[in-house]
Amino acid sequence: MPTAENKKRTLKERARALAREPKGEAPAGEEIEVLEFQLAYERYGIESSYVREVYPLKELTPVPCVAPFVLGIINVRGQIVSVIDLKKFFDLPEKGLTDLNKVVIIHNHAMEFGILADAILGMRRIALRNVQPSLPTLTGIREQYLRGVTPERVVLLDAGKLLTDESIVVREEVES
Amino acid sequence: MKWFLNLTMRGKLFVCFGLIFALFAGVIATAYTGIATILESQNRLYKEDFANVRDLMALRANYNGMRVLMLEAQLLSKRTEQDPLLAQAAERSKQIDGITLSLLERAKNDPNRLSRLEELKSVWQAFAQTKDAEIIPLILAGNLAASRQFAVGVQQGRAQKIRAIAEELGKASEEGARLGLAHAEQRANQLFGIFLFVGIVAVAIGIVLALSMARVIAGPLRELSRIADLVAAGDLTVNMARDHRADEVGVLSQTFRRMVESLREVTGNIREGINVLGSSASEILAATTQVASGAAETGTAISQTTTTVEEVKQTAQVSSQKAKYVSETAQKSAQVSQTGKKSVNDTVEGMNRIREQMEAIAESIVRLSEQSQTVGEIIATVNDLADQSNLLAVNASIEAAKAGEHGKGFAVVAQEVRSLAEQSKQATAQVRSILTDIQKATGTAVLATEQGTKAVDAGVKQSTEAGESIRILAESIGESAQAATQIAASSQQQLVGMDQVAAAMESIKQATTQNVAGTKQAEAAARNLHELGQKLKQLVERYKV
Repeated sequence: MPTAENKKRTLKERARALAREPKGEAPAGEEIEVLEFQLAYERYGIESSYVREVYPLKELTPVPCVAPFVLGIINVRGQIVSVIDLKKFFDLPEKGLTDLNKVVIIHNHAMEFGILADAILGMRRIALRNVQPSLPTLTGIREQYLRGVTPERVVLLDAGKLLTDESIVVREEVES
Repeated sequence: MKWFLNLTMRGKLFVCFGLIFALFAGVIATAYTGIATILESQNRLYKEDFANVRDLMALRANYNGMRVLMLEAQLLSKRTEQDPLLAQAAERSKQIDGITLSLLERAKNDPNRLSRLEELKSVWQAFAQTKDAEIIPLILAGNLAASRQFAVGVQQGRAQKIRAIAEELGKASEEGARLGLAHAEQRANQLFGIFLFVGIVAVAIGIVLALSMARVIAGPLRELSRIADLVAAGDLTVNMARDHRADEVGVLSQTFRRMVESLREVTGNIREGINVLGSSASEILAATTQVASGAAETGTAISQTTTTVEEVKQTAQVSSQKAKYVSETAQKSAQVSQTGKKSVNDTVEGMNRIREQMEAIAESIVRLSEQSQTVGEIIATVNDLADQSNLLAVNASIEAAKAGEHGKGFAVVAQEVRSLAEQSKQATAQVRSILTDIQKATGTAVLATEQGTKAVDAGVKQSTEAGESIRILAESIGESAQAATQIAASSQQQLVGMDQVAAAMESIKQATTQNVAGTKQAEAAARNLHELGQKLKQLVERYKV
């Protein structure tokens, strides 16, 4: 059993650790703030300026006759938002949907939709200097949407390209 | 003659010897009478005739001697030489007086002779008178010539007269003796004739008797000896005629015949018997040889058996000790089993209490399980809240980022909120995992209590059964203890018995050693018997039946 003195010391150490100024990670150079989330076993990041909000995946309604990457639509406080599953793009293994899945709603001035995330890891500041370009082995749509990889192996997605990509816009008519 | 044959041998001998004895008695009687007669005549001859002759001879001799002495004295002149001669002459004169008296005495029955002797006596007395009265004094006086005168004169005539009478008497006596002798000879001749006759008759009768006895006794005996010779040579085939004589010879021949017959029968039987004996002796020899080898094997076997019995004895000793130990142990076990019975009864009661407690535990755990279910629902709610808080914090961060430089402080707050949400989430995760463990544990506990209840039920049942079993076991152990005690006693007796058996085996071993020696001797004896049988066979082969 920790004694009262031990408790006090431990608490003081924690307070000191919290009070410490975060060390200047990269005072020089441009920094961006990204939202980090998890897809399958990989961590991905999206620039926070494109993120509107994070919402739990509730009451997903599947939409028929759409591409496989379109999971369905959800109701966010009265607004209908479509949800896209990036795993289909990146050939990641499916894990199945639960209540714990989250939706990251991204937007720009013209477009707004949700990206399915397995878990939200939090906000992070990343120095662009440290971001390495994407691997040359990656080709196709992956190369198109990736901005780079951080030393912490967080894959930085290019939300602007995602939002402006015409290929993910569903434009299909069902002949009656 | 038939009656004589039928007479017994004794009778025959009595008859024969009686006859001979009678003859001898006759001979002896006649001889006795004859010899008595001869003796009588001889006696008379000696006493009378022979004595007379002798006395007369003596008289004449003394007379002549005296006369010579007198004449010699007359021739000699010395007195010293004359005296001894005269003394001798006087001596002779006295003898002549004595002889004359005896002659007179003997001749009392014969008158003729007596007269002559009286005459002789008178002449002699005259002579003696002259001699003593005249001649001797003349001689003594030395007048030899005068004495010679007397001697040649008167004395000469007297001397011739005495000589003549003496000669006459002597001749008469000789004649008498000759007559006596002739009579005795005649008598003796008569007796000789009688002896001869009687002796011849006796010899003739003796010869006849001897011949008849020989014919009656020796003939059959010779025949019997001939047959006996044949039998001795081994020929038993002879047949003897039946004889019906009643005497000993007849009986002898009858018995001899029966003897030969029985001998024949017996020899036949003996031959068969000896054949059987020979084969039997061979078989006995073989059997005895086998028995001897068997006895030797038996000896070794018994030696081994004795060793084994010794080992068994030691084993029995060990068994006895063990049995004693087992008996004591069984007594202890009986006590222990009694204790065990009580313990099992206590155990049954304890198991019943355990069952009650297990039921209480089961109820408690079921309640606990329900409550942990409620706790799980609460945790789910808290987790949901933490999740939402997390999302809110992220959204707040995003909003703070949108606010730019002004939202920086808010971003810190949002960060803290998020970290709190994260912590509460982790805490709920921990609580959940703990709860999961608790739920698993309670599930396991429920199962375990159910199984425990069942196990306790089974335990109660089993302990009851065990109690019953231990009760039976206690009884069994009691019986076992008694049995072990009996076994201990038995094994003690067995040990004693084994001792006796060992001693007996030792005796048997010695006896077997003696047996082996004995059977060897028996084998040698059987061999001798076998050889004896063979010899007997050869011996019996000689007899013809």
